[in-house]
Amino acid sequence: MASMASTASTQTNVWAIEPGEIRKPGIIHVVILALFTGIGIVVGTFGSLAVPIGFVSAFWPGQAVQSIGSIWFGGWGAIASFLFPLISNSLSGSAPLPVSIAYIPGNLAQGIIAAIAFRIFKSDPSLRTSKDWIVWILLGAILPNAIGAIWGTGVLLAFGLVTSAAALTTVLGWFIGNSIPSIILGSIILKFVSPLVLRSKAFCKGWWA
Amino acid sequence: MTNAVVIKDLEWKYEHTTQFALRGINLEIPENTFLGIVGANEQGKTTLINSICGLIPHSFNGVYRGSVEIYGSPVLKMSGLEIATQVGLVFADPEAQFTAMTVEEELVFGLENTGYDLGKIKERLDWAVGVTMIGDLLDKSPYDISGGQKQRMAIACVLAMNPPIIIMDEPTSMIDPLGKQFIFDILRKLKDAGDRTIIVVEHNIEQLAPLADQLLLMQDGQIARMAPPAHFFDDLPNIVGSGVYPPEVTSFAYWLKQSGYVPPEQVLPNRFDEGVTLMQDALRNARDNR
Amino acid sequence: MATSAEAPGGVRAAKLRKTLLGYVPIESPFYRYHPVTRLIMFVFFGVVPIFIDMPEINFALVVCTILLLVWGQADLKRLRIYMPMIVTIAIFMFLVVILAPGNDPTFTPIHIGPLTIYYQPVYFTFASYWRLMAMLFGTILYFSTNRERDMLVALRSLKLPFLASYVVGFSIRAAGMFMEDFNTIREAEQARGLDKSALKLGDQVKLYVMYLVPLFSIALRRADEISHALFARGYNFTGRVGHGNKRSDYILTQYTMTGMDWLVIAVLMTLFVGAAVAEYGFGAFRLPHSPINILLHHLLGLGWPS
Repeated sequence: MASMASTASTQTNVWAIEPGEIRKPGIIHVVILALFTGIGIVVGTFGSLAVPIGFVSAFWPGQAVQSIGSIWFGGWGAIASFLFPLISNSLSGSAPLPVSIAYIPGNLAQGIIAAIAFRIFKSDPSLRTSKDWIVWILLGAILPNAIGAIWGTGVLLAFGLVTSAAALTTVLGWFIGNSIPSIILGSIILKFVSPLVLRSKAFCKGWWA
Repeated sequence: MTNAVVIKDLEWKYEHTTQFALRGINLEIPENTFLGIVGANEQGKTTLINSICGLIPHSFNGVYRGSVEIYGSPVLKMSGLEIATQVGLVFADPEAQFTAMTVEEELVFGLENTGYDLGKIKERLDWAVGVTMIGDLLDKSPYDISGGQKQRMAIACVLAMNPPIIIMDEPTSMIDPLGKQFIFDILRKLKDAGDRTIIVVEHNIEQLAPLADQLLLMQDGQIARMAPPAHFFDDLPNIVGSGVYPPEVTSFAYWLKQSGYVPPEQVLPNRFDEGVTLMQDALRNARDNR
Repeated sequence: MATSAEAPGGVRAAKLRKTLLGYVPIESPFYRYHPVTRLIMFVFFGVVPIFIDMPEINFALVVCTILLLVWGQADLKRLRIYMPMIVTIAIFMFLVVILAPGNDPTFTPIHIGPLTIYYQPVYFTFASYWRLMAMLFGTILYFSTNRERDMLVALRSLKLPFLASYVVGFSIRAAGMFMEDFNTIREAEQARGLDKSALKLGDQVKLYVMYLVPLFSIALRRADEISHALFARGYNFTGRVGHGNKRSDYILTQYTMTGMDWLVIAVLMTLFVGAAVAEYGFGAFRLPHSPINILLHHLLGLGWPS
């Protein structure tokens, strides 16, 4: 029984390093960091401009890019997840640079939690099983967005851009505005693009390679 | 003569594939010669040059057997920087090699990476720009220029780095006839200078054959034939059978030979002027025999 | 400096420069200044409003940035894309403060028909809005008048690690490539007869979502191509070449700091430090000093603000 379980997990565990497999960070990872940051800039900027409700967007697909980038490309995706909002917030006008800098820990959390969850629970980014879906929706979309919403609202409070009385409304707007696109777009992209990514040299089984 | 490139028993299989893309490749390319590589698509031409410039195995995953040496150093053990100082690669799609936002930055990028000082960079930049005539493009985005200009810029980037070995992968595949002629003019200048090893993958054999010292036919991941252009087409039906079409003048001369109008020992021409001479001789012989 | 200097092989200078947010004439006065000066100006306009509560001064900063855009010959029509954001931010901020003003007995109620609003939180929100606008316009000014190259030169001049500056520059370029790919896919669909206006909203959303799959696939292919190109050009992470020497930076040699650059930087730094000291040392820019606040206090019979 134990050996059967082990065989099954080997077949589906995309994170397992094969015997003799050498994985080292390379130029491709730097490139993917920059490319994903660029994609995030576009998706984040247009998301903010498309359905803005003040500082938060009612539909910010940038969060989906944060999560899936970190799942696929580990630390490189995590860096992209806090790097691109610095630029997309400026381009869209949704937050000035000092506020965007203060958002960094929240944006990092919005990306990296999904990556940690997928690696700990050995979930397949192609979302093949119900376990993969549960990990994705709960730990890849809902939890990071809850943390991100709380952090982001804290930043707005600290900068005096919202009053404490408005904090709850802002947290909810932020959370919903990020979670919905995260679940919809993230699921589609993970499902259809992951098989391609898993074959690419840029895919990180570990954190950096 | 020193060999610029020596390949011994090279085999390569890409990750996630079942068949070897290169099989049993043994090849020596003497320094400062011009090698033309021909063959139908998917026969291993690009894989072969990627092995010479180190992209295989450094940037691709797969199974690698045998060795490729650049001036005696195995590519497998050389760093990307070491290889870049020895081998310059012009990609088939020039856009695939853009790394900067202006043509000028693109041209100096490789020079900066390979350790040239600022004075030398300026000198190399001016020289490469002069050879490829792209001085009016320096401030432009590489993405905003024409296909021919892109390819000239891609060549200039490699020339600027001054590597002893230059490889071009189908440099004329994406440009108009005038642009193609311009590229072949540059190749002619490089060949005439005689101080570089040049390896060109090209479908335009009409233009390639007159430049090449050797032509190499890739078929099914193997070297099917390698010979000087004058003898490369001796077995013309098989060459055509492998999807490679010789220069028209060569085909015509081959027909003349097969039909007995020129002697069997006649070397097949691959240039138009050689064909004219051959035809004149054939007509003269026919008249004399009459 | 203008990069249109006479070049080997001929001269053909572009009339306009493509900046990160639009186009600026090549003769724009901004290009008389070193990219570092322009970056410091960006930081100045982006950060100074943090020190300032008074909406009058932040409004003046907004006007100042608009005047700089005019002086720099930037296309002011581009500002239109920010209008929805500027308006919705205002709606969001005021709606929230009106509906959830907080519970403080010192707040002054103002009755407008059936609606009761509280003066202090609303004025605080008004001031915060102009602070935000001042910071946003500072950002717009920078992105409207600078190119990726200017940003890279500034970051490298300020000794940002090579890898970091490369990633920043390349990511901005990647954003452009991604947009271009997106347009290519859209044009291909239109060429095949797709009429988006005939689609229901749900179908349009579905269509946009489905764009993402080919776009990501193209991006992955690009990542491969670009990494191969970088390898072939001897790129490495470290910014060092053989023997551990630092790589030369040719592009930096195209720019020189002039006396005017140093003067502008000195003025901006002085104003920056002055603003910080005036605020944190003397509270000079706080709301009680705001003339509009003082006027409204008197109109509402609240005396002098404290």
